Amino acid sequence: MGGTVRILNRFIGATMLISLSLLVLNFLLLLIWVRTGTVEGNSPAAVVRHTAEGLHAANEGYVLEAETEALLDDQQVWAMLIGSAGQVTWEHSLPDELPAHYSLTDVAKFSMSYLMDYPVFVWEHAEGLMVIGYPKDSLVKYQHILPTDWVKNLPLRALLLLIGNLVLVLIVALIIGSRLLLSIRPLTQGIQALAADREVQLEPKGMLADLAQSVNHASSLLHQKNASLKSRDEARSNWIAGISHDIRTPLSMVLGYASELEEHHEIPPLQRKHAGIIRYQAEKLRTLVSDLNLVSMLEYEMQPLTPKALRLAALTRQVASDILNAGLEPSFTLEMDDINETAQIYGDERLLLRAMTNLVHNAIRHNPQGCDIRLRVDLAEEKHTCRFIVLDNGRGIPPEELADVLELPFSANRKYARPSGHGLGLPMASRIAKAHRGRLMLTNGPAAGLTAELELPCLEAR
Amino acid sequence: MEDLKHKKLLIVDDEYDLREMVEGFLRKEGFTRIFQAATCVEAQRIIRSAKPDLVILDIMLPDGDGFSLLKSLRQFSSVPVLFLSARGEDEDRLLGLGLGADDYMVKPFLPRELLLRLSAILRRVYAPFRQEQRPIFQLGRRVIDLESGIVRTPSEDVSLTAKELVLLTKFYENRNRIVTNDALCQAAWSDDYYGYENTLMVHIRRIREKIEELPSNPEHLLTVRGLGYKLLVKGEE
Repeated sequence: MGGTVRILNRFIGATMLISLSLLVLNFLLLLIWVRTGTVEGNSPAAVVRHTAEGLHAANEGYVLEAETEALLDDQQVWAMLIGSAGQVTWEHSLPDELPAHYSLTDVAKFSMSYLMDYPVFVWEHAEGLMVIGYPKDSLVKYQHILPTDWVKNLPLRALLLLIGNLVLVLIVALIIGSRLLLSIRPLTQGIQALAADREVQLEPKGMLADLAQSVNHASSLLHQKNASLKSRDEARSNWIAGISHDIRTPLSMVLGYASELEEHHEIPPLQRKHAGIIRYQAEKLRTLVSDLNLVSMLEYEMQPLTPKALRLAALTRQVASDILNAGLEPSFTLEMDDINETAQIYGDERLLLRAMTNLVHNAIRHNPQGCDIRLRVDLAEEKHTCRFIVLDNGRGIPPEELADVLELPFSANRKYARPSGHGLGLPMASRIAKAHRGRLMLTNGPAAGLTAELELPCLEAR
Repeated sequence: MEDLKHKKLLIVDDEYDLREMVEGFLRKEGFTRIFQAATCVEAQRIIRSAKPDLVILDIMLPDGDGFSLLKSLRQFSSVPVLFLSARGEDEDRLLGLGLGADDYMVKPFLPRELLLRLSAILRRVYAPFRQEQRPIFQLGRRVIDLESGIVRTPSEDVSLTAKELVLLTKFYENRNRIVTNDALCQAAWSDDYYGYENTLMVHIRRIREKIEELPSNPEHLLTVRGLGYKLLVKGEE
């Protein structure tokens, strides 16, 4: 909806700008045109003035300067001088049909308009009145008689006219624009729905019918793709679930009989020890099978979450005490660093504990020589995210392998051969973070060791 | 306790070898009256005729699933049921327990764990009159009697308040292990426990005054910095 309003605004703005520039352009052109048409050196007013100035009295007659005479001939203009008594005292190319004497009334009549259809112009001369005449029908004379008020208000009127024009443009643009938008709106809604991954079915009509059909087609294509992707993911996840299910029953037998033999008192100690090894390896297989299943469910977003409000500090203490209670080699230390007590998240307790425990176990497993491990909980300044951080001072991970260790062990995205151990711990933690709309970041510490940060969105304060 | 070994047990699983293995373990532990069934139909027949005292039930069976078998079973019998399944997902576990199963175990399992859980169910169902005794234990020269809520020193008896009793019970259940502040607060003040840390410290100080020779230098109830507390009880693992 916001997009539609924006388009309408743009459209109206552009239309008004175009109209305004057209108006200005027209005005400028008009101005130039009027100037070139009138303010020429040879305008009638200039010619009559020249003629009056170029006619000099000389021994009983008059002499016209040659330059002026040429100008008159060039313009096909006749001229005459009317003396104070009304008689023509000098003339040049005067048509024969014109009288040689003029009364005051005649002068008053022709000075504003025509003398026998000749457009005439007058100028003051020392010896009378200079009159020049242009050929018939060559010029049109208009008189503008305007009230003073009208002239005074002219700027205001012009401004009002301009504003009126703009308002008109605005209304027209609004009408045209909204009609256009009305036909576009279903399309924009359709495209927005496509972006939001909803199914779209537009009715193809009007001038944009083709476009609507294309949108429908794109929607059905997307829908098919999604469905096939989803069914493939489901198939993969079900396949792994099926395998782990089928492994469990035979593994029960291995585990059961091996532990039976291990506890059997009639069997020699060495053989009992071997049975113990079988039992231990079967338990490892059991863990691997259930981890694999969990990671595959997470990978294909099929793992259901049972979320509730949790305090990250409490989870951290539980992880630390569980690991300490299970027994930690003396070469390791596990300590609590800065712990933010208020950071709350909304998540699946069991999965989060799993991810956090995996991160600590990762530090232990990658540093068989022992190391100091510190746990930290912090809350981002804007309070939208919080982090559980595991810092160790061990060997760290080579920088080129950092991105690699979050990939699944058998994935084609993984460049390096995996080290010993099944290597599901970090990929699992990363996927648990993702399922909680968070992320797992691994960095090598400034001095030495690895820093693992589990970033999670905070539970919004109620 | 011995008469629990005379209880009739029924193992329902489609895998013959697994039934044999479980029956072997049970016989070795002294159980004698053990029945087997491979299908839902067979299981129903045996339950009606032999009336077992406990059923070990698989979920995936050739002619149906354990959940619906349990549902139909519950209409005429309240026999305790322990699910033993290769399906390890939480939903299955919750579904099974929600239908009224007494426990849910995931394959593969350790025989010892199966025996422990099975015996726990039998005791709970068939020996209910045995009074659940709260523990009595020794800390240095003092005896902590959680049953009567009293700390006995050579010179006098000191009684424990209700909260101190709750906390000490929690400590004893997790003896020689770290118990976090959060778990302690939750035990004493239930779910909405945030903000009770200072109150917890006060209670811990009072407990120490009652159980330690030198409360300022505790030997039994130790502080684990940043995490919580640990009750050391000698003579046990």
